[in-house]
Amino acid sequence: MATHEFAVSGEPTLAQEESPGSEGALRLLKRTGRIFVIVLFLIFILLPVAFICTTSLKIPLEIRISGALLPQGGVVWENWVKAFSEVPVLRYLFNSSLIAFVSAMLVLFIAVPVTYSIVRFRTGGFLLPSWILGTYVMPPIVVSIPIFTMVKMVGLTNTLPGLIIVHTMLNLPIAVWLMDSYFRAVPKELEFAAWTDGYSKVRTLVRVVVPLIKPGVMVAGIINLILSWNEFLFALILTYSAKSNTFPIGISNFVGEHGLQFGQMSAAALAGIIPIYIMVFFFARNLVEGLTRGGLRG
Amino acid sequence: MASVALRNVWKYYGHVEAVIDNSWKCEDREFFSILGPSGCGKSSTLRMVAGLEEISKGDLFFDSRRVNDLHPRDRNVAMVFENWALYPTMNVYDNIAHPLRVRRIPAREIDQKVREAAEFLGLTEILKHNVKRLSGGEMQRVSIGRAIVRDPAVLLMDEPISHLDASLRSRMRDELKTQISKLGVTTLYITHDQVEAMAMADRIAVMNEGRVQQIGKPLDIYSHPRNIFVAGFIGEPSMNFINCEYSSEGGSAVLKCPSFTIAPEESCGKSISRYKGGRSLKLGVRPEDVKVGTKEGPGSFRAVVDFVEPQGDRTIVSLRLAGGETILAQSLDRFRQPAGANVQVAFDQRHLHFFNPETGVNVHYA
Repeated sequence: MATHEFAVSGEPTLAQEESPGSEGALRLLKRTGRIFVIVLFLIFILLPVAFICTTSLKIPLEIRISGALLPQGGVVWENWVKAFSEVPVLRYLFNSSLIAFVSAMLVLFIAVPVTYSIVRFRTGGFLLPSWILGTYVMPPIVVSIPIFTMVKMVGLTNTLPGLIIVHTMLNLPIAVWLMDSYFRAVPKELEFAAWTDGYSKVRTLVRVVVPLIKPGVMVAGIINLILSWNEFLFALILTYSAKSNTFPIGISNFVGEHGLQFGQMSAAALAGIIPIYIMVFFFARNLVEGLTRGGLRG
Repeated sequence: MASVALRNVWKYYGHVEAVIDNSWKCEDREFFSILGPSGCGKSSTLRMVAGLEEISKGDLFFDSRRVNDLHPRDRNVAMVFENWALYPTMNVYDNIAHPLRVRRIPAREIDQKVREAAEFLGLTEILKHNVKRLSGGEMQRVSIGRAIVRDPAVLLMDEPISHLDASLRSRMRDELKTQISKLGVTTLYITHDQVEAMAMADRIAVMNEGRVQQIGKPLDIYSHPRNIFVAGFIGEPSMNFINCEYSSEGGSAVLKCPSFTIAPEESCGKSISRYKGGRSLKLGVRPEDVKVGTKEGPGSFRAVVDFVEPQGDRTIVSLRLAGGETILAQSLDRFRQPAGANVQVAFDQRHLHFFNPETGVNVHYA
């Protein structure tokens, strides 16, 4: 505990010599406290996941009766088998993945020029950015009926493209909002240099500006992926068959003869966590860097 | 090469008038400096010449061609920015080659031109270095390399050395001047540092609050400032200004100031007597034209030394006059009087300036 630490001046710190235990003890206490809080937080986050894990391995009867965490009546695999054979879980996973990926790409494709235009050329003056943020603040359910009507009018209900378009619309504002500060951090002179060198404004955006804000674009892309994956309301309204049901909807459909099949639902839910988990795991570093750097303006 | 001419050019940002009715011409191959304090409109002017900003009103000519609506890339101008604006993801070679690559020039020709420019600027050793590793002076040279590699018609420089440290700045000033005169390219140079403009430019346009105050050769502007702003802005330490009253006593002109009375010499007296603006004038005298001594002499008057600022090659002396005003004197000799000493002050009559106190205009031009 009493470490041989010297102050900058090169002399041993007097405090340690006088009371050898107190400095070290305080440090240990602080460290323990920190670890304790982190563990508490982890338990809070991971306990539901652990519960789903164990539920998927319990016999259905036990799930009804007992609320215990660990399987008491033995570990079985029937939930997993039934989940994938009786319900098209893989189809749901595929639908969700496709919708999430395509809508994220579409959002980026539209949001990058929109944000650049607003930031650099003040397009829309004061109103446009306020409107964009305003639509995001509004609860989506408020426009659920009009959107349903519009999608039905163009015949895109119960189709993947229909949901892709709606998700793109819904998530566009947050992409603009996220990338705004990144664009502002790029020095204007760099774009001036590119224009003078001979680039058009579009080429300047693509070749000079976007490479500099890659973290911001990645963050916007990943967040859109996650938002689209988790989206429930419009997926519920606009899809009604396995053809286009997304994963969250699919999970909620685990209704059998005797009511909700929690065991199978848990198995399917775990399967659904895995793709997103892998994606975010690979991009985690970029995500954190992107989210924290966004706050610092150049 | 090309000449650059502005005719009645205005620039608005919303309701703010950043550039007001500017007209001037920079001749072919001339080193023309636009000098002024921050916010005077000089950067806006340069960006309009480059095509990076719209011209709100008026015309811009390259030679005799009106270029208001021409895209920057079609104007054949090259720009060196205050913070260099080098592409951070590329190395020195790619930065310099960039404008040529954009124009789809063949790779072999690009290589030759880049190496020529690099040798000219002493960059051959660091061609493969990433620009983030370079020092300030090196980055500035790369920025110039990128500008000159295209043989532009006009070279635009926006305060390129203003944020280097002082010793590097004076070295870069000499280097820049040498390189640009070797190239013989029409150059527009923006700065707020009057020492830079005076040292480097063939002609200077002094700007303040959006308007051009005076255009001329450095020494002309120094010796014959058109108004109080130019007189005070050019020259360091700046000109002293003293209020005075003009009267003619017994046929000769006399100037009464709170602390002294002087009779201006003939040519000054003629301009003042022609002046129709009234009796009050502002007298302007540069510190180097204020002579300080211990003995009385013709036209001298009393003053007290406030403080002394030795600067090695010269001494700046702050003097308090009898009427309470403070003026600065510059002495090239070692000044030996301490603070508080009584001294005698006289002005070099050949270099006095008189301004209308309301409009600020030099009476020579009123």
